[in-house]
Amino acid sequence: MHDIVFHDRSLVPVWDKVQRAERLTLEDGLTLYRSPDVIALGKMAHAVQQNRSGDGIYFVLNQKIEHTNICVLSCKFCDFAAKKGDPRAYEMTTREILAKLTPEIREVHITGGMPPDWPWERYLDIVRSVHSVLPGADVKAFTAVEIDFFHKKFRMSIEEVLRRLQEAGLRTLPGGGAEVFSERVRRLLFPQKIGAKGWFEVHRTAHRLGIPTNSTMLYGHIETLEERLIHMMRLREAQDETGGFLTFIPLAFQPGDTGIKPRDRFTSAIDDLRTIAVSRLMLDNFPHIKAYWVMLTEEVASVALNFGADDMDGTVGGEKIAHDAGAVSPMTLAKENIIRIIRDAGKIPVERDAFYNPVHLHGDRIVGQIPFLNSVPFYAHFEKGRFRLFPVVPRRMGILCDEGQLDAGPFSLMDYLAQQDRLELMGWTIANHREVKSVLLFSRVPWAGLEGGSIGITDDTATSIRLLQILLKKKHCVRSSFERLHAGVNDWSRHDALLLIGDEALRRRGTGIKGFPYVYDLAREWQEWQGLPFVFAVWARRRDLPPDAKEELDGLLARSVALSSRDFTAVGAAHGRRIGMSPAEVADYLGGFTFVLGEKEMEAIETFDRLVRELEEETTVHAHDARR
Amino acid sequence: MHGADILRKARSGERISREEGLFLLGHAELLDLAETANEVRFRKNPERRVTFVIDTNPNYSNICNIDCIFCAFYRHPGDEGAYTHSVDHMIARFKEAAANGATTVLLQGGVNPSLPLEYYCELVERTVREVPAVYPHFFSTSEIIGMARVSGLTVPAVLSRMWDAGLRSLPGGGAEILADGVKKKISHLKGTSADWLSVMREAHRIGYRTTATMMYGHLEKDEEIVEHLDVVRALQDEQGGFTAFIPWSFKPGNTPLEKVIPHYATPVRYLQMISLSRIYLDNMPHIQASWFSEGKKTGQIALHFGADDFGGTLQEENVHAAANFVNKTNTEECIRLIHESGFAAAQRTTLYGILNVHPLTVPSE
Repeated sequence: MHDIVFHDRSLVPVWDKVQRAERLTLEDGLTLYRSPDVIALGKMAHAVQQNRSGDGIYFVLNQKIEHTNICVLSCKFCDFAAKKGDPRAYEMTTREILAKLTPEIREVHITGGMPPDWPWERYLDIVRSVHSVLPGADVKAFTAVEIDFFHKKFRMSIEEVLRRLQEAGLRTLPGGGAEVFSERVRRLLFPQKIGAKGWFEVHRTAHRLGIPTNSTMLYGHIETLEERLIHMMRLREAQDETGGFLTFIPLAFQPGDTGIKPRDRFTSAIDDLRTIAVSRLMLDNFPHIKAYWVMLTEEVASVALNFGADDMDGTVGGEKIAHDAGAVSPMTLAKENIIRIIRDAGKIPVERDAFYNPVHLHGDRIVGQIPFLNSVPFYAHFEKGRFRLFPVVPRRMGILCDEGQLDAGPFSLMDYLAQQDRLELMGWTIANHREVKSVLLFSRVPWAGLEGGSIGITDDTATSIRLLQILLKKKHCVRSSFERLHAGVNDWSRHDALLLIGDEALRRRGTGIKGFPYVYDLAREWQEWQGLPFVFAVWARRRDLPPDAKEELDGLLARSVALSSRDFTAVGAAHGRRIGMSPAEVADYLGGFTFVLGEKEMEAIETFDRLVRELEEETTVHAHDARR
Repeated sequence: MHGADILRKARSGERISREEGLFLLGHAELLDLAETANEVRFRKNPERRVTFVIDTNPNYSNICNIDCIFCAFYRHPGDEGAYTHSVDHMIARFKEAAANGATTVLLQGGVNPSLPLEYYCELVERTVREVPAVYPHFFSTSEIIGMARVSGLTVPAVLSRMWDAGLRSLPGGGAEILADGVKKKISHLKGTSADWLSVMREAHRIGYRTTATMMYGHLEKDEEIVEHLDVVRALQDEQGGFTAFIPWSFKPGNTPLEKVIPHYATPVRYLQMISLSRIYLDNMPHIQASWFSEGKKTGQIALHFGADDFGGTLQEENVHAAANFVNKTNTEECIRLIHESGFAAAQRTTLYGILNVHPLTVPSE
């Protein structure tokens, strides 16, 4: 995307702040919302989205289950709920629920009414049964309103409710029930619902237990723009504390057969797009913004993919696809439809799991992008040409490459070594001759004390985990067990040490982690031991890529590195600020890397490869593989 | 070739080439296109205002002998549901439309080989005389060619007869994609791209004003879309008779082409068409966004992508309806949709004269 031509000058100071990674205020939000220059607003949000998810747009093969519409509440907003005895009322048995599931589903979304007479065991049974029938799918179940209902009805703490659901197989919580965090609106429209305090309590508790959640905002009724922005800012504040929100989903109010009519018409397309864009810009700590096509309409959702949204939700079970499916399942049709919409928007359809791990990329000419500060020089001046970029953490990049879904990228050394037959080196690397600062073991005890201990390993790494194994075994003669941490929120209390990489390591290096006073730089550990640089990643491309594509990619990459190397501060400052680093620290950090693959680096690769082979022969690796 | 350079060129008011247009269609980011299209739009039409017309699209006959495979409207003579209305019947319909505020009647039929030239002349004459509140915007190029065939007159002679009867404006339909490779596939009996262009050229020479349309989203390639824009731009350079350019997407419902092309083109594709046509057609006064053909929400968004007109209120419409594609509005909603997009709404005449302006009073929240 090119520089923005501003017709509304009031947007310029806000854009400057966004570029400097400064947090936006309520007033900034109002300026954005009120600007007539919708295209400039969209370009601002799109640029932020591109930094996070590149050309990728996520979707999930999911099934929505509404187990009952019987509800003790009578919200004026709702035309779904019914009272017991109402001819519209229904209750699904666990068997009926299971009958809706098909093997390709990766996420089961369960929400419903709040019936007066269901026992607690029935909810646990639903979660447990779905989880056991489809262990490859993640159960996303029960809004904060329902969790609060269980808490009151079954006289258990919110924590107890969540813990027991988690034991039954619940992985994430949906974001519904937030409506708008405004007491004024709550009193007028849904006085029986839990309100902001209760909603946040449920979500904070979930995050503490390692259950990531979604968040929503219902807009387009009687709320003011200020109330929308305050809603976003409260979510932003909570996210600073817990980091447990996966996504924000603005939900356009649907006028219909609701009890009251705060507004008798649908939101305008322009309001929808503005809300997507403003939320992308305000929620600077949210990984994803979802254009939920079921509510937003397919047409607006597809345009929203250029206004800051990076997630289309999913197939939702395919009910929307009404016409005769023939031999093709509704799910397949729904999937094809979503892929087509994303492709036509010029993006890469990225099939994901509930945690936003990419499972399958539907496209070609895709170059992997490591989303860490150390890779910025490769991309800061990368003119995409006919390629598209997909940011993905090293380990996932290796998996995608293994499945033939990437044409090139800076592959983690382990992945390159494993896939050498299909890949060829491109002459670029991410290597260190001194401290790396972003591959760190945070430990409660010195090396020797880790004997018999448990080490939590970031889900992102493919090579650093092997480096750690080699250092433990061969340098320090210590045996420990490894456990993969999953993306998002984690409980670190049971680990003796943690291996973190990339931006998370850099951020934690600054702040430290309470209870983990020993911090070891793995590159330094290797260098002191071997007298060689450490090579974390090498740029490689598919051998069978057509020659003209190889040539184009070589040129694009060489140009970006050359331009970036002139001034690391300029290319890395904004990224650095997002993770709490000053421009000087960024320049020092990037200056510590070698990006050109030279003789010393090749020697280091050979040495590492030999040690890995020795290790593999000697031991069976007990790393618990979190790959789903 | 770099997209940024091409867009800079367009913003500075320079004309872009076919190759550059093709590059933009294939490679430009959607909002980069929109940004430039908007700049061109405000240079040509500086007011933050969007025009619309109160109109109706009735049909005098659905009998047609050119069998386009993208059409769900036509019938052969004797088919069930085939009809031809009398002039009296049509005049009564126009009067009703005028009573409901219509100022434009866009009238088309099939290409019905059994209707004499006199039928068409009478329709025009009586409309001008008996329903002076509406401006006749009658007959596509295919019908003009059909009249020439039926009467044995030349196309210019038919156009002159119509002019004498009082017709001043022709709709731009029937262009589909002005590239013969596509036309042969989807409408082999309808004539060539040159036929459409030559009827328009003759009409413009006589003094008619017309619109130009494009129906995309079927068998065309990107190259052919750019070819279409290019021939329209060339004719406009030559004659200057086009008032507006109107792209819309193919609606596959109930058509033979449905088996091959089951989906509507996406809104993003539509927005690309709006923006690209605004950038490419540097000599076209107006680009029309259609709430009708693409949906109200997409229509609203298109107003930020280079369009400055919202089309008509369409009291009646049968061609898209035959493909199961139905959208309805009224004047009040049309004004509100424009306001919600952040523009004043101006009711216009067929030829884009302003009748009245509904200013944007409330901020578009």
